Amino acid sequence: MSDSTTHVAIGGDITIGCTVNGEAVAVQVPVRTSLSDMLRAALGLTGTHLGCEHGVCGACTIIVDGAAVRSCLMLAAQAEGSDIRTIEGLAVDGRWHPVQTAMHDHHGFQCAFCAPGFMMTAVAMLEDDPNRSEQEIREELGGNLCRCTGYESIVDGVLAAVATLRGAS
Amino acid sequence: MTSPETHHTGTFDTATQGSGLGAFTGTSVKRVEDHRLLVGDGRYVADVVPPGCLHAAFVRSPFPHARLTGIDTSEATRLPGVVSVITGSDIEELTNPFLPFLALPGLYTPLYHSLSSERVRFVGDPVALVVASSRAVAEDAAELVDVTYEVLDGIGTIDRALDPESEPIWPRAKNNLLYDRTTDHGDVEGVFADADHVFTETFRCPRQSNQPMETRGILVEVDSVTGAVSVRAATQAPHMLRWQIAAYARKESGPQSIRSFLTNPERRGAFLAAAKAFVGDKGEALQSSDSTAMQHQLKTEPRTALQMVRTGAQLLGRDDYPHVDADDIGGGFGAKGSVAREEIAVAAAALAIGRSIQWIEDRMENLMDGGQAREEELTLSIACDADGTVRGLDVDLVLDQGAYPGNPVGAPITVRIMEVMQPGAYRFEAFRQRSRIVATNKGKYVAYRGPWANETWARERMINVVARRLGLSQTEIRRKNMYGDEDWPAAMLTGPALDVTCSVRKTLERAEELADLDRLDALRADAVSRGKRLGIGFASYHEAAPGPPDYFEHVNPGTSALLDQPATASVSVDGTIQIWTSQMPHGQSHETTYAQLAADQLGVAIEDIELVYGDTSRAPFDLLGTGGSRGGPVGGGAVRKVGRHLRSVVVAKAADMLEASVDDVTIERGNIHVAGVPARGLTYAEVAARVVADGETVDGRDGTYAFSVDDTYTSAGDGGWSVATHVCWVEVDVETGIVEIPRYLVVEDCGPIINPAIVDGQVRGGVAQGIGAVLYERAAYDEQANPQASTYMDYLIPTATEIPRIEVDHMETLSPGENDHRGVGEGGMIGAPAAITNAIEDAIGVTVNDQHLPPYRILELMGIIRPD
Ligand code: FES
Ligand code: FES
Repeated sequence: MSDSTTHVAIGGDITIGCTVNGEAVAVQVPVRTSLSDMLRAALGLTGTHLGCEHGVCGACTIIVDGAAVRSCLMLAAQAEGSDIRTIEGLAVDGRWHPVQTAMHDHHGFQCAFCAPGFMMTAVAMLEDDPNRSEQEIREELGGNLCRCTGYESIVDGVLAAVATLRGAS
Repeated sequence: MTSPETHHTGTFDTATQGSGLGAFTGTSVKRVEDHRLLVGDGRYVADVVPPGCLHAAFVRSPFPHARLTGIDTSEATRLPGVVSVITGSDIEELTNPFLPFLALPGLYTPLYHSLSSERVRFVGDPVALVVASSRAVAEDAAELVDVTYEVLDGIGTIDRALDPESEPIWPRAKNNLLYDRTTDHGDVEGVFADADHVFTETFRCPRQSNQPMETRGILVEVDSVTGAVSVRAATQAPHMLRWQIAAYARKESGPQSIRSFLTNPERRGAFLAAAKAFVGDKGEALQSSDSTAMQHQLKTEPRTALQMVRTGAQLLGRDDYPHVDADDIGGGFGAKGSVAREEIAVAAAALAIGRSIQWIEDRMENLMDGGQAREEELTLSIACDADGTVRGLDVDLVLDQGAYPGNPVGAPITVRIMEVMQPGAYRFEAFRQRSRIVATNKGKYVAYRGPWANETWARERMINVVARRLGLSQTEIRRKNMYGDEDWPAAMLTGPALDVTCSVRKTLERAEELADLDRLDALRADAVSRGKRLGIGFASYHEAAPGPPDYFEHVNPGTSALLDQPATASVSVDGTIQIWTSQMPHGQSHETTYAQLAADQLGVAIEDIELVYGDTSRAPFDLLGTGGSRGGPVGGGAVRKVGRHLRSVVVAKAADMLEASVDDVTIERGNIHVAGVPARGLTYAEVAARVVADGETVDGRDGTYAFSVDDTYTSAGDGGWSVATHVCWVEVDVETGIVEIPRYLVVEDCGPIINPAIVDGQVRGGVAQGIGAVLYERAAYDEQANPQASTYMDYLIPTATEIPRIEVDHMETLSPGENDHRGVGEGGMIGAPAAITNAIEDAIGVTVNDQHLPPYRILELMGIIRPD
């Protein structure tokens, strides 16, 4: 991965060292760069989407050191030394994560702009504790907005992933 | 309180390997789109940033209404990284103003540019565009642009706009009333004088906003060598954007345009080809459109004529229209069917500077200027007899279009559809409607999923008001007055034909069966014991998706030909299959449903179909793209038609090769063979290879193909209504005013379903937006038109904890037409506000006149708190 950002620094540059989807990277960005912009513009990981850039919609959700985080609210500088996972890292060797499979099976998304944020939220939640009721799932997903689906298909997808993960454990 | 979902068709376990004709249509085939979208591989407009691309940010007015007295860009220009600052007066030099798209008798449409120079008309009105090396630098520089304003009175309400003394937002219109027209059908005076009762109520719907999760955005690339322009955009209508950029983003002098047209045979040829693509065989139909409508416009805005000629000459004089490509789009709900002023400004800047520029809107801009909708006041009077027979309907509608007109689809066409659809599926004897459009200092009114939906909301509210006053039940009054199978053929008072597809009453009867109405009293008592009030609300409607063949002639005579939908089907020389559509998917799963339709026609697997769309150099021409619930019936109708056509030419060639009669040839799993002899079959690749060997290849849309056929779905001949009844149960907490929805049921009839899971998703998504509209969302402004909701902290979109499970029951009435699928994209949003507000009225026992009912409003209505 190379620093292919088209942004020109107007402040001092900094270099962020962190792990992204299992790969160690050193990324040089302007100091005010948000983590989401670092991922999208510098690393080309455009699967992380920006719906509001003010911390409400959840589209930009990624997993940092095991926790679901809104990457639009975090500075790249704060990610120094951390372990970052994005939607691009969810499938392993082309094999989908159970959450991806379940979303496909249940027609989870429509325009899918919200999809990466929902799936990263769901993955962090299920890694924390896969035994989740529908109500708990709805509350955990309550920080992610979807304008297309009315949520039912997404909730059904997560419930199916819960069943898969329970079966596997 | 749940009841099982019923599907007449469909399962989640369908394999995608075709077993032959008819295997896929009607089943919940899993989404083809998911293979890229679930792994982060989508390509939305913000995802593509070519090397060296510049970025744009807009300077916007902080005042609702002001004169712009000065603009100083010097400090912004000096900021390192800034390439250019373009102001409103620059834009007047560089570009042509927007022209009216639709003329209605008496309608005033202003001419305006993509940036404002003398006057600003809403908070967010763009006055300058900064182009810089990064978005951050562009935004910093935008803050350094120094604009001086002389503040004028902002008009923030319909009442203030109707005051003839109010400060005119468009001075040429003299006041803020832009349209005022009354239409009537039947003996309105006679029926109202004769009826036993006349009941009247006024219903108010506040401003809403489409709010797709992806904001607007555009990338305009300029080839530094050839100057060729190519555009990527989040648009529902790529061809519309292409034509508008060609028309507006660069101003050429009139004489020069005409000279280039006359002296350059290639240009003449290119224009004639483009004109042919545009007008096609619809010339005669288009001519019949109402030319008197233009007279008022020309009187109020004489420059319109000159600008039309100038822009027309410019379109004639060029053969270098930009190439527009739209890829994945994060929702639109109508908002991205508009061509934005910002898009034209960015294109103008890129052309002027000769460099590529990307603009990605932020959410605050989107809430101010990304499209708002639905702000209407409707006063309805119903004349009825004592037995509950409704006889006359008199409506006074005022629509608040905000400052700038929607482009191209906005208030005027919405008003016409509302006028046509207002009587619903009820047997009124007489109907009159006065419709007014006013300008206020707010963001622009655009089409939002079922743009005309307030005709359903107000009518279905009013039907309940009448029922309550006469002591009838909600369902009794509807059953008594609705058209039903005994009435066909029939026509609405406003013109459009009604046939068996207008099965509204059947959906109502089915909904009654599923609603367990005998348990209602027990549910009410249970709610009371928990400090709550339970209510139930019904609402029914029919919508033109696509509507009967004559439908659009009643909305806007002469224009229904514009709604035709072309499609192409081809087989490459290597045997792969392509379907080419002018539809522009943005969440509706066209790649899946069209593959289902085509795979069934062609006897192949879902994976064997490639859908080509979104790229104006390849996709068939159609101005409107995706909208109006037309993807299934009209776009899908074209795919079925062209798929059938392709099958026939492939089978003819294969029959030759197999030395068989075409009638004996069948296709199963991609094996083209004589029925009963699959072992001696041919693949598409083998047939294509023979076509090549025999020198029979044809010119397709972008090269040489073994087969390529074109067809057009025309509205004449096919069509029908899409209908539904919604039932909502609410529980209102009398302490807090909070409304919960323990159950929601939709019984819909969109004809035979292509993909049940996708239809369910469309219905549920629409209902969720309806719930948002009633309980949470409001694009609020104060009296002076200062916006009160410019972040997601204030514009509340409901989440997974607020939206309940929504039961969807399907009925599938067959239509007499050939293409039987009917649209379902908008219906959820059309029915929901009516069902929810009817349920709330039933729960609290107080007439509900507002569509927006947050907790404080519920408590006010119940007399628990006093309105301030
Ligand atoms: S983009 Fe980060 S929460 Fe919306
Ligand atoms: S699927 Fe479109 S926003 Fe969720």
